[in-house]
Amino acid sequence: MMTDVKQQIKIDESFYKVENIRKLTDNTISLSLPGSRFKYKAGQHISLGIHGNYQSREYSIYSGANDKNLEVLVKEVKDGYFSPKLSHLKPGDLVEVHGPFGKFFIDEKLIPNNKFVFIASGTGIAPFRSMVRTHANLDYTLIHGVRYSNEAYDKHEYAPGRHILCTTGDKNGNYHGRLTGYLNECSFAENTHFYLCGNSNMIFDALEILKEKGFDRDHIHCEVYF
Amino acid sequence: MKYHLITLGCQMNISDSERVSAVLEKMGYQKTDNEEEANILGILACSVRQKPIDKVYNKIARWNRWKNKRNLITFVSGCVLPADKEKFLKTFDFIFPMSELAAFPDMIREYGIVTPAGLKAPQPVMPKNEHIVDLWHIQPKYQSTYEAFVPIQNGCDKFCTFCAVPYTRGREVSRPSGEILEEVRHLVNQGYKSITLLGQNVNSYGLDKNGEEITFAELLRLIGEYGKQSGQEFWVYFTSPHPQDMTREVIEVVASYNCLAKQIHLPMQSGDERVLIKMNRRHSMDKYRKIVADIRELIPQATLFTDIIVGFTSESEPEFQNTVAAMHEFKFNMAYIAMYSPRPGAASYRWENEVQQDEKKRRFHELSEVMKIHTREYNQSLLSKTLRILVNGTDRKTGFSTGLTEGKISVRLDRRYDSLNGQIVDVKITGVADFSVSGEKVQTPALPKNERELVREK
Ligand SMILES: Cc1cc2nc3c(=O)[nH]c(=O)nc-3n(C[C@H](O)[C@H](O)[C@H](O)COP(=O)(O)OP(=O)(O)OC[C@H]3O[C@@H](n4cnc5c(N)ncnc54)[C@H](O)[C@@H]3O)c2cc1C
Ligand code: SF4
Repeated sequence: MMTDVKQQIKIDESFYKVENIRKLTDNTISLSLPGSRFKYKAGQHISLGIHGNYQSREYSIYSGANDKNLEVLVKEVKDGYFSPKLSHLKPGDLVEVHGPFGKFFIDEKLIPNNKFVFIASGTGIAPFRSMVRTHANLDYTLIHGVRYSNEAYDKHEYAPGRHILCTTGDKNGNYHGRLTGYLNECSFAENTHFYLCGNSNMIFDALEILKEKGFDRDHIHCEVYF
Repeated sequence: MKYHLITLGCQMNISDSERVSAVLEKMGYQKTDNEEEANILGILACSVRQKPIDKVYNKIARWNRWKNKRNLITFVSGCVLPADKEKFLKTFDFIFPMSELAAFPDMIREYGIVTPAGLKAPQPVMPKNEHIVDLWHIQPKYQSTYEAFVPIQNGCDKFCTFCAVPYTRGREVSRPSGEILEEVRHLVNQGYKSITLLGQNVNSYGLDKNGEEITFAELLRLIGEYGKQSGQEFWVYFTSPHPQDMTREVIEVVASYNCLAKQIHLPMQSGDERVLIKMNRRHSMDKYRKIVADIRELIPQATLFTDIIVGFTSESEPEFQNTVAAMHEFKFNMAYIAMYSPRPGAASYRWENEVQQDEKKRRFHELSEVMKIHTREYNQSLLSKTLRILVNGTDRKTGFSTGLTEGKISVRLDRRYDSLNGQIVDVKITGVADFSVSGEKVQTPALPKNERELVREK
């Protein structure tokens, strides 16, 4: 029995070594891990832990479902407990990954005949990058609300005209003001499906606007970060 | 040699504790209610609130004081959050997830070595549920002779933001349907009258198997067919379902078979769209409304139970009033109302808990009063009807027998009928209270199976 038990001392398959870290802004990184040992759908999230720490947090998957690496987008929250620790990781450090979790993904059957509007605040853009990288021929518009234009993470990856950056702190985006201000001015085709992700107050306000525009709750999908 | 087991929390733990008892008794240990005479002391912990966790800390401090006086083995299992697990490793002799129960006898025999869960090598924070099947293979030692809980699914992938279960119980894993049917058949043959299929997301049954297992509706249908063939009278319940995975087919099947109890527990949590989004409940009020409409259409006699949380993080008064409106709309027969308290490990634990405790209490009382209006109105409608009642105990105050209708409405009987405990009898309802009814046992000739429906609650 003693030896049987001792043999079980091995690195559990939930642990991954950090492969690469891309610094996207002063306080936001993209953490790249080896390709995931599980299949996931674009839009799902994982729970991420750090070896030696019993806490974990949820992070949307930032990479596409067919990408070589598993990526997450992490913003260091001021006075936060966990995200500053993630920000200080170095390549080779061990993190613990569980997942994939959640139902925030696109029903593939809808892709050919429908339009998709992705509405994100801050790092809420993460699941949408995954969706755009995963599904070819997606007829989408991504409306991204941030304070400053440097938070338009990996903007160059999106096709021209499909990424609308709304900035409140500078005038270098496509729209100066809150994302909801932009949304109010828009009109959308009837066959549009909406995906909202990020801060709950933004989601609630956007939801009201969309309901006022006559869209059914069944067409509006939400993922709340906080 | 004796063991003493403390079970905290929900029915899932109660069900698990029946399997722990079975394992210990197979090893020759006898159960005792007196912890002072036990050699093995164990706790099935619950992390839903702080109070039961405090109890675990108090107990182990006490038990550890006895250790220098006599030989003792202590263990903890059940729902344990990673932070508590770290601490329990130092104070208990064993800590193991339920999925490792089958290895428990070996752990006891080899007492002195660390258990797999206690090893210091990188161990995942979130429990893996792969070996939960081994737990289900253990024949439980049922605590009652007429009421049993059958686990059909374990774990949760839903991540409601107020709940830590996905972190304590791991991913959703469904038990093989063959085993479930076998256990149900065995129970019915033993004369069990009330059987509850258990799971954190009972109606997500089978979905984790990607088409290689039958669906929840199909499982219910097979149980229903068995019930028909058996010629026995028994009631099968299930808890807790999640509205997201509740299909019309499930409701149709419940409507079709006598043995599938006409009582549905459908957690709503909040009647407000925004609060539901913030709770990550993943269904709109329209979806909830549609399910209730299906229940009312297909099983008009069904009673409807729910769970509600008041004062969730930033719940405003108008948002709370939407829950009050929903209580009026759905006229629940019972709502388990909880004042929100942040649970360590859950996402909302990190969010500001903005509603003051006094305000939560006020909302709790307001909602309870609204519930009372509707429970009383329903109970009133039962007056002078004759209902089938499962006699299940005695009332502490009067000493008279008590029971439950098929719809789980509490019934106080007119006297004590010890010999009827665990039997389903006919009772004429003669009195009504807010949350119960009272009645007299009446003599009814045994009815043929197909006519029993006539005396059910309508
Ligand atoms: C399903 C899901 C997916 C998520 N995906 C991502 C993701 O892809 N990227 C990401 O950076 N975070 C994401 N989050 C948030 C993440 O899980 C943590 O809450 C966040 O990293 C803060 O953790 P912390 O320990 O540093 O802060 P804590 O000490 O836990 O403090 C939490 C406080 O930080 C604030 N906060 C939380 N998240 C953010 C944020 N992103 N921006 C600004 N303030 C915030 C909230 O006000 C909250 O009260 C997600 C959350 C959920 C529920
Ligand atoms: S409350 Fe939500 S997260 Fe918790 S067990 Fe139920 S469905 Fe899962």
